[in-house]
Amino acid sequence: MAELTDNPAVAAPAVDALVASRGEPDWLAGERRAALKTFEATPWPGPRDELWRYTQLERFAVTGLDLVPGPRTEDVSERIERRIRDSDAEGVLVVKNGLPVRREARLREAGVVFTDLATALREHEDLVRQHLYTAVNAPMTKFTALNSALWTGGTFVYVPKDVEVELPLGTFTTADRGGLGAGRTLIVVDVNAKATFIDEFTSDPLPGRLFHDHATEIVLKDGAKLRYVSLQNWSREVAHVHKQRAFVGRDARLESLTVSLGGDAARVEIESELGGPGAESEMLGLYFADEGQHFNQYTVQHHSAPRAFSDVLFKGAVRDASTAVYSGIIVVDPGAQKTDAYQTNRNLLLDRDSEAVSIPQLEIAANDVKCSHGSTTGPVPDDQRFYLMSRGLRPEVAEHVLVTGFLHEVMSRVTLPKVAEYVERVVQAKLGVPGVREKL
Amino acid sequence: MSELNSVHPDAAKLEGMQHTKQYDFRLPEDYYYKSGKGLTKEVVEKISYMKGEPEWMLKFRLRALEIAEKKGRPKWGPDLSGLNFDDIYFYVRPNEKQGTVDSWDEIPEEVRKTYQRLGVPEAEQRALAGVGAQYESEMVYHKLKEEWERLGVIFLDTDTGLKEYPELFKEYFATVIPPEDNYFAAVNSAVWSGGSFVYVPEGVEVAVPLQAYFLLNAQNIGQFERTLIIGAPGSKFHYIEGCTAPAYTSHSFHSGVIEIVCQEGSQVRYSTIQNWSHNVYNLVTQRALVHKDASMGWLDGNLGSKTTMKYPSCYLIEDGAHGEVLSIAFATDGQHQDAGSKMIHAAPHTTSSVVSKSISKGTGRASYRGLVQIHEGAEYARSNVECDALLLDEQARTDTYPYIEINEKSAHVGHEATVSKLDEEQIFYLQTRGLKEDEAMALIVRGFLDPVAKELPLEYAVELNRLIELEMEGSVG
Repeated sequence: MAELTDNPAVAAPAVDALVASRGEPDWLAGERRAALKTFEATPWPGPRDELWRYTQLERFAVTGLDLVPGPRTEDVSERIERRIRDSDAEGVLVVKNGLPVRREARLREAGVVFTDLATALREHEDLVRQHLYTAVNAPMTKFTALNSALWTGGTFVYVPKDVEVELPLGTFTTADRGGLGAGRTLIVVDVNAKATFIDEFTSDPLPGRLFHDHATEIVLKDGAKLRYVSLQNWSREVAHVHKQRAFVGRDARLESLTVSLGGDAARVEIESELGGPGAESEMLGLYFADEGQHFNQYTVQHHSAPRAFSDVLFKGAVRDASTAVYSGIIVVDPGAQKTDAYQTNRNLLLDRDSEAVSIPQLEIAANDVKCSHGSTTGPVPDDQRFYLMSRGLRPEVAEHVLVTGFLHEVMSRVTLPKVAEYVERVVQAKLGVPGVREKL
Repeated sequence: MSELNSVHPDAAKLEGMQHTKQYDFRLPEDYYYKSGKGLTKEVVEKISYMKGEPEWMLKFRLRALEIAEKKGRPKWGPDLSGLNFDDIYFYVRPNEKQGTVDSWDEIPEEVRKTYQRLGVPEAEQRALAGVGAQYESEMVYHKLKEEWERLGVIFLDTDTGLKEYPELFKEYFATVIPPEDNYFAAVNSAVWSGGSFVYVPEGVEVAVPLQAYFLLNAQNIGQFERTLIIGAPGSKFHYIEGCTAPAYTSHSFHSGVIEIVCQEGSQVRYSTIQNWSHNVYNLVTQRALVHKDASMGWLDGNLGSKTTMKYPSCYLIEDGAHGEVLSIAFATDGQHQDAGSKMIHAAPHTTSSVVSKSISKGTGRASYRGLVQIHEGAEYARSNVECDALLLDEQARTDTYPYIEINEKSAHVGHEATVSKLDEEQIFYLQTRGLKEDEAMALIVRGFLDPVAKELPLEYAVELNRLIELEMEGSVG
């Protein structure tokens, strides 16, 4: 794999130009330059790295790509306009080609901040400075370092103490050109506050290859609650890398959902640190890979405090020479007694050319815990298919009923009806259900 | 099986002993030949020369040495930094006489006494079809009962196997585990000595187990036995291996290679409960090639050693092949038991099952590392893996790393793992029935391991229980 250092888009002058054009404060410029150094000093992961041995790294190559942001164009296609309208999100930020282009939010709750990161830096610098780079932090990986050096666009959400934001907020990240882009989401939910946020990634077919590197930082203070959805349905020219890390404080609760449907290849890393007693983290995942897509997902349930609960449920299907990789780990630190942690991965293989890899791991260093994990992989059960066909369903209809049924276990735990509806439609379109693709 | 002491008449006297006493049988070192320390070409050549081996074997050894040097140690898994090859004797020959004897009377008295203390000759008379005993690098005793010999069963030490059955030996040797496979297999291939050579002819069923027994005595020694087991079509037998070493303060190294061929319709079982002293690095490669409708069962118990890396595997290469691993690991203070299994499904209708139980006590760490691989075209393969870990102390650790790679639509693969602590209510209940706390704990641990223990022949199950009691002693307070 070619080294990236010969790519002028990821070198000190590019970062300096980025800082200058955005008029960013010195402390942030310093963070970006330090991250670039880390990026340069970090070798590319390879198949010999345990965490990357099933990742098709060449599909995440960034050599030769020009740096997004820009150009600034506000108009989005009718299809994406409809997506935004049909979403559960009531407050919407649109980031296109790495630049915030539109914001619509009717926030009644006092003190809530929902804006792009550049604006937030001007208007709420202290809040941003206090939290940025704290959840997704050292040690940085090759890709998080790249993001930390180059992110543009981006979203900042702050919900003050005791405030509950009723309406879901969301950012639509889209593009109409290829290149190398990075986006960042920073969500801070203060003590006993509550919010819902949807990060959606979508595009119409692009004229060139896009590599999008995203980072989501979530900080949940004591008693805070957040529902976070990341919904990836890029067009097929896109390689998507996304690191999501949440710090979950005492008695705080995170409900996260990660959906992988689009793009050519996606690598998502979803991590919760249960950092306070009584913290809870539910991490749901759903993926459906077709036409040679490669989806690679990695979850971490890190219990650093006692009496916390975490649960992972990732389900997915593969067909048409696709690969899906799920690996996940429950880490229980010494002293994190009374930990309650579960992890489940289930895969459906829909044809012989496809491959599913599952690595559910445990590393437990406290003894008074309840931890379990399970993984199953198999075909659509023949007896169920036979049953449906005996009721008059055609084989392909029986299959899509069974696949949607299989994925329903995850979707039924998602309390955002329009997200669930959309995901179901995309899955149906992938399964070839007639008349669905046109409606997407 | 070090712990034949539990069936020994003196077993009762072990009550209340410190667990290091298990290894308190060290003999004065008095050897015919002891190589220099370190893994060198000279040592490899000397081993081959002293054994009077054919040219091809010397070439094989030297090639393996090159492979080992090129490969280097694995970069994953347990910490092996305490293992210093420059401080290890790779070959120690206990006596001048080449080859084994088949009467205990001909074994030097000191060595014989040790085996007696471990109860091996008694077990041989009572429960085994044949026994091999390895002392340091060489097999010193070998005997197969006549009734089995008459049926054409071959049970020899590997060096003698090479001499007496050169064609058969060459046909299978290093075909299941080539030196390229992994670093420790390469090291073993370069310096192997001793081990068992077993051939059970077509349709022969050996009703009682064959056993080999491995003993390390010298300080800083490496033992590299090489075992080759061939089950001809339709044969059925059970091979048991045991091992022990006295407790020295410096580290010893055991790295066996066990290759098993299960031909069509054969049923082969291999059981081992290793209880090396807590200064031994135990890094073993064991694998079976399983042909059409054949079945391979590994029973793997890991109680002793400082660090174990051991992943018994089955390559299910023909239609209907079946593989099984039943394993237990017991990690106590300072130990890391990194054990697991590999099931490679490379043919249709192959099935596999893995049950792994581990216990971590004190600062012990038990890891399950496994692989289930379903190749494309291995239609209707089924595999199920269950791992249960029990944590007895606050500092104890456990890990599970199951790799599941599936390339075939019709495969059904499942994995389940649970981690829990000793149930306080159960302990309390047993105490109300009059048991002391440590007795109650030992009883619960035995119950936890029961699904594995009941697969062992009776003598060994008794012994396993005995060992657990020894490991559990002093666990309270």
